[in-house]
Amino acid sequence: MTDGRAPPPGPGLGVIGRRQPRLDGFDKVSGRSVFADDIELPGMLHGRILRSPHARARIVRLDTTKARALPGVKAVVTNGDAPDLVFSERQPLLAKGFVHYVGEEVAAVAATDPFIADEALRLIEVEYEPLPAVTSLRRALQPDAPLVHEWAAGNVAVTHDRDFGDPDAAFAESDLVITDEFRSPVQHNTLAEFHVAIADFSNPDKLHVWTPTQSAPMYQMALAKAFGLESSQVRIVYGNVGGAFTGRGRAKPHHFVAALLSRVAARPVKIKATADEEFIMFRGSGETLYRFRTGVTRDGRIRALELDVTFDAGAHAEWAMILWLPALYPNWLYRFEGLRYRGRFVYTNTVPKGSNHGGIMGRMSAGWMQHLTRVAEELGLDPAEFHRRNAIEAGDHARDGSDFGSCGLKECIDRVVERSGWQVKYGRLPPYRGIGIGIGAQASGGKNASNDTSAAMVKIADDGRVTLFTGIPDLGQGSWTVMAMIAAEVLGIEPADVNVVGGDSDIVPFDWGAFSQRGTFMTGNAVKVAAEDARAQLASVAAAALGVQAEDLVFAGGRVHIRGEAPDAPGRSLSFREAVAKAFHGGEGRYVMGRGFFNSPRQSGSMAFSFGAQVAEVEVDPESGAVRVLKVTVAHDLGRALNPLAVEGQLDGQVFSGLSQVLYEECRMDAGQVLNPSRLEYKLPRTWELPEVDYTLVETIDPYGPFGAKEVGEGPIVVTMSAVAAAVANALGEPLPQMPMTPWRLLRVIRHHRRRRARGAPGAAPR
Amino acid sequence: MDAKRETPPAGRSRVLRLVVNGDLHEVLVTPRHTLLDVIRGELGLKGTKEGCTTGSCGVCTVHNDRGEAILSCLTPALEWDGESITTIEGLESGGRLAPIQQAFVEHHAVQCGYCTPGVIMSAQAILNATPEPAEADINDGLAGVICRCTGHIKVKEAVRNAWRYAGGAGPAPGGSHD
Repeated sequence: MTDGRAPPPGPGLGVIGRRQPRLDGFDKVSGRSVFADDIELPGMLHGRILRSPHARARIVRLDTTKARALPGVKAVVTNGDAPDLVFSERQPLLAKGFVHYVGEEVAAVAATDPFIADEALRLIEVEYEPLPAVTSLRRALQPDAPLVHEWAAGNVAVTHDRDFGDPDAAFAESDLVITDEFRSPVQHNTLAEFHVAIADFSNPDKLHVWTPTQSAPMYQMALAKAFGLESSQVRIVYGNVGGAFTGRGRAKPHHFVAALLSRVAARPVKIKATADEEFIMFRGSGETLYRFRTGVTRDGRIRALELDVTFDAGAHAEWAMILWLPALYPNWLYRFEGLRYRGRFVYTNTVPKGSNHGGIMGRMSAGWMQHLTRVAEELGLDPAEFHRRNAIEAGDHARDGSDFGSCGLKECIDRVVERSGWQVKYGRLPPYRGIGIGIGAQASGGKNASNDTSAAMVKIADDGRVTLFTGIPDLGQGSWTVMAMIAAEVLGIEPADVNVVGGDSDIVPFDWGAFSQRGTFMTGNAVKVAAEDARAQLASVAAAALGVQAEDLVFAGGRVHIRGEAPDAPGRSLSFREAVAKAFHGGEGRYVMGRGFFNSPRQSGSMAFSFGAQVAEVEVDPESGAVRVLKVTVAHDLGRALNPLAVEGQLDGQVFSGLSQVLYEECRMDAGQVLNPSRLEYKLPRTWELPEVDYTLVETIDPYGPFGAKEVGEGPIVVTMSAVAAAVANALGEPLPQMPMTPWRLLRVIRHHRRRRARGAPGAAPR
Repeated sequence: MDAKRETPPAGRSRVLRLVVNGDLHEVLVTPRHTLLDVIRGELGLKGTKEGCTTGSCGVCTVHNDRGEAILSCLTPALEWDGESITTIEGLESGGRLAPIQQAFVEHHAVQCGYCTPGVIMSAQAILNATPEPAEADINDGLAGVICRCTGHIKVKEAVRNAWRYAGGAGPAPGGSHD
């Protein structure tokens, strides 16, 4: 399954490039790993939230008297108890007079037992006067649609318009202009670990929160602002995180509600989402409408691109910051003369929404790559050749200001074309078999949403063991293991000799966290700097002991030796432990601690971009409309595979999640309610639905990445979604205007073909 | 479930006698307690995770006395009076991982780890029934557990290779691959 694996570690790299099993593996397979839900604090209460059953309504009466009187109930809160507490601008934490979506937080209770908390919720009396609601994006955009908020004319929350070059001139100079539309659904992040938070605000000067997160600083800042604290007065503990998939980037209302209940009760309060609540309070992908327009020359050069994207924000524009990304994205893939982007966030009376795994680019690319495939085919060009002809290269300076210090995009295309047998299959498959190609890029962090700093510290005990302190959360991607590998590589020791301490904002140095594919690149660089700082201190001690210059020393294989000499030369080398002991027990008494932080010298955008190409092969059953993905051929330019074993795990998961989103995943909505709120009804792939996966890791050794590494955590899923969508379109002979590409949607197309064929219409048979 | 509850929940409590990982426990439970509530709450065995509590995700999987996988979240605790079960904590012996657990580590069949105890108990149940499982046995046996991180690809690899880790020293870490 994994031919084309990463090459062996480069010269001088003892640890980097090794297939390293995760260092927390023993704890995770034995049931020892502690997740937030496993924590029991003395005196801990159980909180529950009363949520709006209406998409829009006025609260006529809200009476909590009976709930407050129930034995075991320690706190009941409504907006009246915390009128000034806001979740975000114009968004009270608890509903104030009106509710704007199904699931909105109306009241909350904390009790000594979850059963009692449930009982107390039932005793809260609420009388609603339902109001006309807008629960779909199409309805919200109609001129006569009710307004979700009176201040937002046309229900438009935020717009982001941006042009690069001169798109009008570029379209005018094009020989062929093609337009397509696409639509993606509401999707859920389906985290293995449900939403959960334990807050202890017993001491009003310190708020402790145990919860899974992708970014402790963002949670700290939001909670501090709401409760009138400084960020450092909020402690986030996030030891093990049960998956994230973009779903844990921002604190959600339950974090604030748990803190409020804890402040009122002066006891720790735990709130854990119940099974159906998980599908009510989620903030996954909103429905999104896309219009793609592309102008090309007859010889297949892209001149002009236009992307018009309309997002369903839900009732509050919590995730408006994701609007800017589709404007930049084409700059990282293609050379062109002009790009026009029009993005808008539109209010609906539904839960506020953001992204699913793959972010915006995944779902957009499922449509955009079908569109670009059609553009190529209209020109009579092989889509693989079309992508290649327009692909950016290392050294290019893009119109958004991005530079590409390394770029393996063309190599990725070449490798998947070669390994998938593209040239013998494309255009030559039997009916209802399809093959599709997609390409993609991903920035490794960048100063678009934050100042993007990561910091790290190492301390070295006199027994030679190293402790690394990092704020990067390990969401399962294996960051803690790879950070230990980076520190070990610098210090010339084994990863198992590095103890990683993470997951507690009171202890670890600052790190924005695991989002925007910044972990390996930003945190990895910070860890490298911190380890190098410690190594320099040890080197000066060892140099004095060995009578050489510090620059002449090599740290490798658990030893410190003189360059060009044998690592264990007697009297001319030290073990790592001896070097540490010389520092600590020598006259200076030096305790070695290294520190480092990393930040980009670029004032905007990213320092590095990963690239990928994938080919998917599918088979459509014309009787049922079901799609089977037969094979996905992946090539990803990740800079360098620091830990190829974990890289493969990332690729596996993204192929799985990518095909799942394109083919299966959809929250079926009615009047703001999710109609399929469980993992039985919200379809995910099962064990027998996984295709054969062929990987090629393209190592371009980025000049800025730690040991040349970029990212592999989200880039691949965007490409999987592109390739699978293009393959289904290829099987049916026409682009699919909507995902997920479920059997009933495909059957509609297949039946239409059959009717046309029965009438003898031309071009009705699938390729 | 909070072991330190102050007010007993409604429903008539009864004593449940249950052997867990070889140890006999007697706990007071009500008809609405599930087996999972008892394992995690009353007994404090937190290795078994609570997921959907509706039988759709499989992370709460434990074994009955025949080594078969059961969903502890769907099972009323009192139905298990006098029975014997095994949880993830019962797979290892004397701090030594069972072969299937070692295989999960070496083959990177673990990512976030939340579903891992349930996946491993399901995987062990497959091996209990069929020491040399065919692809279909593995697919069927793992069908009830949803793992979002691994795509089940390396999980299946670990199940196929678990035999390599039986009986003492296995291959070098990370060395085996298929």
